[in-house]
Amino acid sequence: MRELRGACATRERHEEAPAPASTRRGGRSKRKPPSFSRWLGSCLAGRVGPAPRSIPPWPAFVPAGAAATLPTRPATPGWMAPGHEIAAEAKRRVLARALAELLGGTVYHERQRLARHPRGVQRAEDRTFVAKLHRALAHAEDPSALLEETVGRYAGEIAGHFDPRVYAFATRVLPLAFTALLNGTTPGEALFRVPELGRLSDRVVTSGAIERLRALERLGTVVLVPTHVSNLDSLLFGYVIHALGLPPFAYGAGLNLFTNRVLGYFMHNLGAYTIDRTKSDPLYRELLKEYATVALERGQHQLFFPGGTRSRSFGLERRLKKGLLGTTLAAFRNRAASGAAEGRIFIVPATCSYPLVLEASSLVDDFLHRTGRERYLPPIDEEPDRVELWLGFLRKLMALDVNLDVRIGEPLDPFGCAVDDRGRSLDPRGRTIDAAGYLRSRGEICADPQRDAAYTEQLEERLLEAYRRDNVVRATWAVSFAAFELLRRRFEAEPVHRLVRRIHPGTSIRRTELLLLLTELLDEIARLAEKGAIARNEELGAGPEEVLEQGLRCFATYHGFPVLSARGEAVVVGDASLLYFYRNRVEGYGLLSAPSLLPEEAS
Amino acid sequence: MSAENAVAVLGAGNWGTTLAQLVAENGFDVRLWSRDPEQVREIEETRLNPRGMPGLVLSPRVRATAEFARAVRGAEVVLLVVPAQAMRQVARSLGDVLSPEQLVLHAAKGLELGTLARMSQVLAEETCAKRIGVIAGPNIAPEIAAGEPAGTVASSRFPEVVRCAKRLLTSNRFLVFGGTDVVGVELASALKNVVAIAAGMAHAMGMGENAMSLLVTRGLAEVTAIGSSFGARPATLSGLAGVGDLMVTCRSKHSRNHRIGEALARGESLEAAVARLGMVAEGVTTAVAARALAAERGLECPLLERVYSVLHEGLAPTEALEQLLRLRAGRDVAWS
Repeated sequence: MRELRGACATRERHEEAPAPASTRRGGRSKRKPPSFSRWLGSCLAGRVGPAPRSIPPWPAFVPAGAAATLPTRPATPGWMAPGHEIAAEAKRRVLARALAELLGGTVYHERQRLARHPRGVQRAEDRTFVAKLHRALAHAEDPSALLEETVGRYAGEIAGHFDPRVYAFATRVLPLAFTALLNGTTPGEALFRVPELGRLSDRVVTSGAIERLRALERLGTVVLVPTHVSNLDSLLFGYVIHALGLPPFAYGAGLNLFTNRVLGYFMHNLGAYTIDRTKSDPLYRELLKEYATVALERGQHQLFFPGGTRSRSFGLERRLKKGLLGTTLAAFRNRAASGAAEGRIFIVPATCSYPLVLEASSLVDDFLHRTGRERYLPPIDEEPDRVELWLGFLRKLMALDVNLDVRIGEPLDPFGCAVDDRGRSLDPRGRTIDAAGYLRSRGEICADPQRDAAYTEQLEERLLEAYRRDNVVRATWAVSFAAFELLRRRFEAEPVHRLVRRIHPGTSIRRTELLLLLTELLDEIARLAEKGAIARNEELGAGPEEVLEQGLRCFATYHGFPVLSARGEAVVVGDASLLYFYRNRVEGYGLLSAPSLLPEEAS
Repeated sequence: MSAENAVAVLGAGNWGTTLAQLVAENGFDVRLWSRDPEQVREIEETRLNPRGMPGLVLSPRVRATAEFARAVRGAEVVLLVVPAQAMRQVARSLGDVLSPEQLVLHAAKGLELGTLARMSQVLAEETCAKRIGVIAGPNIAPEIAAGEPAGTVASSRFPEVVRCAKRLLTSNRFLVFGGTDVVGVELASALKNVVAIAAGMAHAMGMGENAMSLLVTRGLAEVTAIGSSFGARPATLSGLAGVGDLMVTCRSKHSRNHRIGEALARGESLEAAVARLGMVAEGVTTAVAARALAAERGLECPLLERVYSVLHEGLAPTEALEQLLRLRAGRDVAWS
């Protein structure tokens, strides 16, 4: 019987036995008899008898510095160095060269990064380190120590820390402080007066598969993967996790968030580990993925944003970071291979629906500059995040008396299969299956990078579908979509960044016209919502007049220029890029038969 | 023989029987499932399957069964060779017994009416299978059963499925090429059947070689337009499953779709032609799906459209041809 499938792709190759001690020089002192071929050679040359011993050897070339390790050729002709010794030395050199090449990559990628992001965090230290590494590589006999140091340095940067005392403090005090600040009181006052604890929780409305999330959290390891639009997201989801009564989650946060000392302190001690997205060194990337994998294997719940970065356009994620997403499968596989039957891994999508976005202006500017390629602006990730800015924004949001909808989606396994309340994977028809079977080839669980990447792609597809379904439409988005579509029909400019530029501040739309289109849009959204293809905030339940009013009211509070404002019988555009930004959240549903206005986001 | 290396072939028609034989000749145990117990008994007793492939003596490694679960359980690979419109029903039963360990291949060349789903989509919707692949190419079953050389494409997002298809089927008479473009292979192999019907009609009308070539090439252009609008790679459509399959179905007397086209051009009714064929001609239903796909993407496909009209709206084949010739000729191939 022939084998059906090839042997497991990653059957580990046996590491070659360690080289014999390089100090084995004993063989040199032994006198070897002249070899047969030499003897034969001399016979053929007409000399019979043993080879003469008087021919002087060639002077051996010994590079400076290597003299200590290179055994010099003895002055006896006919001597042969033992092959294994030569092989051992050659092997050592090749290994050293391979390591040096790897580290050369680190030097290259780090240099590139430092040049691209001159304002980056820890720039001076990194520069020094890279320079040092580069110098050391030129002379290193054995670069493994350098490799150890480099990876160790990255590991130290990534490593999160969790301090239960800080967590207890933060979860007890922070909501109070938050609530107080949002109410316009000082934290001190709030602690003494009995604060309205309910305030924040009133505003954040969590819905969806909450019970299932709670159940699964006890059965295995949960990875919460929300959409990402704002730096507030990590805070918000941190709060949601706490408010749902779940244990703390670890999460990867951008390096820039750690620059604020207070925030950095909390983040660090609340289990955040650091992700520096600007680092392109493959060693760093591998380490980051492995960190997440190990954390998952050990049962640490995690929160991460699979979009990788905040959506610059406010459009829903269209592709996810498969590297990080794939760590769920890697962890699942490692657990399954080690025979751990229980301890599954669940991926839980989530969305948050903001009526207004804290960083809307800088995000959309960045997006338009990238797609328009007009000029280069440094990535906005490097802006310091200011807590006061956040609180000011939140306070305005609270003043609006609107909810932040957080939706917890249906949990999935690392293959993208649905999961039931008992943590069992389900097939598309709801039958329970043994998901570990997806990793078996000829009965054995094994790693196969291509296969696993294809599974992760399926998980990605399921998550993207979930985001679209759980996208809770707000009045501001619907109004922007309708208004922008009217303007698009009027100006007919292409591509979109040109269109945005043509819509000057002060451009007005007739209110009746806008209402007409808005009515149509709301109907279409309602129909989609009935099919479960999209979700609606309660704001959208009202008539088009009210939706328009609500949208305008929101826009009036936060941005420098109101995105849209009413002026008599007209609605006036204040900021076309922001109008474009808010409309993008409902792009991709084929609403109003509008063409797609979202160019591929440059990564 | 150990059960774990067995291959289940579902469907004991013309192509299913031939594939079962190919796999068995490569030294694998095959469980050939047929829904007809009579046929199963006949195969088991005589080693012959006159209704599937007359004259072929089946290898002793091929064991026929009418019990679905017995065929599928424990098989390392499941190979579905059923008509496109029966795929969902078979896939439903398959879903009850399939486990995630098993690899799934299908060799159906068609699209599901109504949903317009491709066969791998149907399988993914109805079963737990994820490692799914498709086999398609210029494969006229009687020729292959007679030992004539041929080649095919096995396509899957999962390289191990392609490797597996190669192991199962490759022989010194049968070449299996690999690929990853499942959408391309499935759409190409389904839609070309509609073009084959047109070619059959043209053949029966006694059209010259120039005209045949014109017809088939324009048909391919339409198939490519539809395919690439659904994410197929245009190169796939010029491969074995596209051009390769088109060349054979548009010329071969064995091709079922070609025969249907010929019968229609001779003035037979569709029902009569299908009845006389006695097998499923996928092109007849695919013409409906092709029209819907083109409409969904707003594509103009005059040739596919005319074939649909001839098949299902009673348009006379000569009139369809006249209409096609009156069309304004646009670009030869789409801008890339």
